[in-house]
Amino acid sequence: MTLASAALLVVVWGLFVFDAVTLRGPARRMLALEACFFLAGSVLIASPDSVTSLANRVGIGRGADLVSYMAAIWLARESLVNRRRRLELDDRLTETVRAVALLQAKEVVGTPQRGQSSGESASTTT
Amino acid sequence: MPQRIAILMPSFDEPRLRATLDELARAAEAFASLRVFLVDDGAPAPVDVAALPGPSERFSVRLARHVINLGQGAALETARCLALQDAPFDAYVTMDADGQHSVADLAPLVFAITSGADVALGDRFAGGSRIPRVRAAVLYAARLFESLLIGRPLGDAHNGLRAFSHRAIASLKIRQARMAHATEIVLAVCRSGHRVVEVPVTVHYTPESRRRGQSSLGALAIVADLLRRYLFGAGPASTTR
Repeated sequence: MTLASAALLVVVWGLFVFDAVTLRGPARRMLALEACFFLAGSVLIASPDSVTSLANRVGIGRGADLVSYMAAIWLARESLVNRRRRLELDDRLTETVRAVALLQAKEVVGTPQRGQSSGESASTTT
Repeated sequence: MPQRIAILMPSFDEPRLRATLDELARAAEAFASLRVFLVDDGAPAPVDVAALPGPSERFSVRLARHVINLGQGAALETARCLALQDAPFDAYVTMDADGQHSVADLAPLVFAITSGADVALGDRFAGGSRIPRVRAAVLYAARLFESLLIGRPLGDAHNGLRAFSHRAIASLKIRQARMAHATEIVLAVCRSGHRVVEVPVTVHYTPESRRRGQSSLGALAIVADLLRRYLFGAGPASTTR
């Protein structure tokens, strides 16, 4: 293990300790999931050769390439799923705002039209 | 026979709103009745109802307000829902509040509908409009794009002045909240088998309307919106509701 990988491990598990100390309530349930991810990451950091041999077995040169390919695929999918979700949320927001607008619609009583006698008070009725 | 007309009008902080409504109130004399469905699209300063023309025998305004800004397409859809609550009318006309559309064009648009058309699209290139050169070039590209999509030539694109029959407006659902609704509407009505005609109209370009209107770069945003809706869907079948 090199000095750099040791430093990385300290950073990764430092983050875990920080989350374990600061997270309160039901949010703590995600700590188990975080530990799993960090454990897998720690293996990759501590033993790059094991990932490289795995990469070689599936026909990819370096372990780092295998990891970055997987990350790129995951990110692209996440981005597409999020775009779709955002469009759906936008649609729901639009429908909600419209429903409120339709409920609160009112007749304009306004002021007399130009050229007519003035003096009536301006008001609206629902 | 005099007709009952519904005007669907989105508004976002329009300084000429009162003048536009006054013109419509005068134009109402030519019809049995003219009812404006005005939608304030969440402008920072809400439409001042006291500053709007009051009802007369033939003219009235119904106002709805979005609590946040959604876009012109969403405001038009709200106006459509509002008008359908008071339906039926003999013709439904979509019109901008900024005064760039001419009230004089109402009669020929309505006539097209009462003569049997389902949709009458305003064609500014056939009317007496003096269209700025850059705008004309962008519109030419938009016409080409839309003509390719619907498979028939169009005289104009993205003109907010159009008229619908009750059948056509009732079956139209506008999903594009921002500016792509103009393309969406043309596509929807042409694909639904409605009888679509084009009617010459005059669009007035003023420094004010050009400053506040869509920039030519807005065309790119429209294509992005159309692509987004095409790819990420959210039609009635794919929504989670």
